[in-house]
Amino acid sequence: MSQPDNTSRRAFLRNTFTLIPTVGLAGGVSLTAKAAEAPPNLSDYQPAFFKSDEWAFLLAACDRLIPGESEGKGPGALDTNVPIFIDRQMDSPYGHAERWYMQGPFVLDGSPDLGFQYPYTPRDVYQKGIALTQAYCQKQYGKRFEQLDAATRDQVLQALEANQVDFAALGETQKLEASEFFSSLLENTKEGYLADPIHGGNKHMASWKMLGFPGARASYRDWVDQHNVDYPLGPVSLTGERG
Amino acid sequence: MTARFILPLIAGSTLLMASQAFGADDTTLERGAYLARAGDCVACHTTEDGKDFAGGLAIESPFGTIYSTNISPDKDHGIGNYTEAEFAAALRDGKRADGANLYPAMPYPSYAKLTDDDVHALYVYFMDGVEPVADSAPETDLSFPFNQRWGITAWNWLFADADTFTPNTSADPLIERGRYLVEGLGHCGSCHTPRGFAEQEKTLDDSDDSYLSGADLNDWWAPSLRGGDGGDGRGVEGWSAHEIAEYLKTGRNAHATVGGEMTSVVAHSTSHLTDTDLTGIALYLKSLSANPAGENATTPDQRRTASEKTAAHLTAAKDLSDGERLYLDNCSACHLNDGKGAERVFPAIDGNSLANADNPTGLIHTILAGATPPATPTIPAQLPMPGFGWRLSDEEVATLATFVRSAWGNDGGAVTAEQVGKVRDTLKPSPLNRAPDANGRLNHDDRDPK
Repeated sequence: MSQPDNTSRRAFLRNTFTLIPTVGLAGGVSLTAKAAEAPPNLSDYQPAFFKSDEWAFLLAACDRLIPGESEGKGPGALDTNVPIFIDRQMDSPYGHAERWYMQGPFVLDGSPDLGFQYPYTPRDVYQKGIALTQAYCQKQYGKRFEQLDAATRDQVLQALEANQVDFAALGETQKLEASEFFSSLLENTKEGYLADPIHGGNKHMASWKMLGFPGARASYRDWVDQHNVDYPLGPVSLTGERG
Repeated sequence: MTARFILPLIAGSTLLMASQAFGADDTTLERGAYLARAGDCVACHTTEDGKDFAGGLAIESPFGTIYSTNISPDKDHGIGNYTEAEFAAALRDGKRADGANLYPAMPYPSYAKLTDDDVHALYVYFMDGVEPVADSAPETDLSFPFNQRWGITAWNWLFADADTFTPNTSADPLIERGRYLVEGLGHCGSCHTPRGFAEQEKTLDDSDDSYLSGADLNDWWAPSLRGGDGGDGRGVEGWSAHEIAEYLKTGRNAHATVGGEMTSVVAHSTSHLTDTDLTGIALYLKSLSANPAGENATTPDQRRTASEKTAAHLTAAKDLSDGERLYLDNCSACHLNDGKGAERVFPAIDGNSLANADNPTGLIHTILAGATPPATPTIPAQLPMPGFGWRLSDEEVATLATFVRSAWGNDGGAVTAEQVGKVRDTLKPSPLNRAPDANGRLNHDDRDPK
């Protein structure tokens, strides 16, 4: 790692040093069960939320957003179980928009500065976004998204990102736009790639190892005064997995 | 350290209470309530969610489960019909009003020291200051031969012949007050004095050096309270009288945070005692010569060198053993690389009596299940240690505990995964030891709605 990176990391750690007791004060689970189970293989995983055709889209899309070793320098979204992360998030309060105000009125032509105005939870956004994108692929290429070659899939994703796919023309009535669907997909893919493995993605902390991020060790105070020394430890995850 | 020097060090509003408690204007009932605190009667005679002094708490003994009795003044279910003489006989001699023997789970061999005056005050309190509770506690039903209460008569004859406390008039009255509380109501020896072949405390007073010299209590090491000169520097011999009093008052001091059974003792009893009484107790404990150091005991200099070595190795974080890596990944954020923690917040592990105890059960339990300090009148905040049972396997806990017991100046023995597994099997569900749910949430309540 180059020198400026180390310096800025130290500065970051120095400026953000706090002690936060992360303790749950309610509930109880079996003490005899240990959480650190081996993460599943993506090919064995049975999605809880996505239907099988949606799942095929998700795998094919994530694979283009963060490609694997053959195309990049590090592990890809499929190598690190990112689709599993997204599937599990769909069953979380986030997926159900549990903590958002979702009562309306839904002013569909409101200013973009006010954020999305459609009445959809993230679950709805994925279901509708995938269906609309598949409709677009059928119309444009006569194939499903996951049947397209990598370069064409990239074109579709770029068209989504640039909002060049007209969801309204494909039947969307609540003004969900292609670029909004794409940005959710990209955001969740990055989260699954970089978040702690306890959430289902970042299998074996592969992205952290690539980046040199040391993970969920609760304090790095000993390193504040160790200048010009490379940090020697691999990452640790919330479940205690050591890399 | 003399009493005169100690007293000004301990500030606190309870000094006022002290003068009230023993002043001429005070009522006997209030004094009785205070003495019931000192005796920690509530600890055994009240269940977790039960009414005060209604009994029913299951007490594990080597002979089976003994249920504490209802000592509220209810005439049918409690002790409302006891005369003062019958009350005194129960307290000091372990005799029920009907003449049957109490099981010596009741510390009557210690309470025998109580003065007539204090027994009277306690009687007034239990008759007039406690709400009667019309519930019967479960009957104790031990198997033969321990269900033969008459057999305890012989036990009493052999072991429980202590007389009422007689102060040594040539000693410091404050120390004598401390001795009275430690030997009598405090019944400290019940846990901290080793027991003999018939489960009797080997001695009920300081006439023998085994008094308060430390004992295993249900596998949890209750350390030596002998705080005088000598010793291996691991127990209260390394604490000042002020620090002992502070520990009893708040559950914390610069060396340690209370854990295990003692947590409840601090919460319900010692944290409510006056600073004068706590000072007396501390000075008395400092007057007892420490346990002689073992043959292989290290010197303070050796321990200091070892401590620095471990701290430097952990800080460099190169060529780490599994135990060292586990410590860095799980413990060092709070207990720090020097194993000293932060005074009154994160207890020190270096030199910790639980970490160095021959029996590692208490340490294993703390790693697996976490620990919560008591809320005391002066320090009500309870910053808990989370449990690591959900995060570490038996092998990992064993490796970590073995490291902790040999790191810095510590010299406890190795711990095996089998030992960890046995402790894990005894754990109950606890909010301090739970894995985050599938969404990584730690703080939501996943208990079944009732």
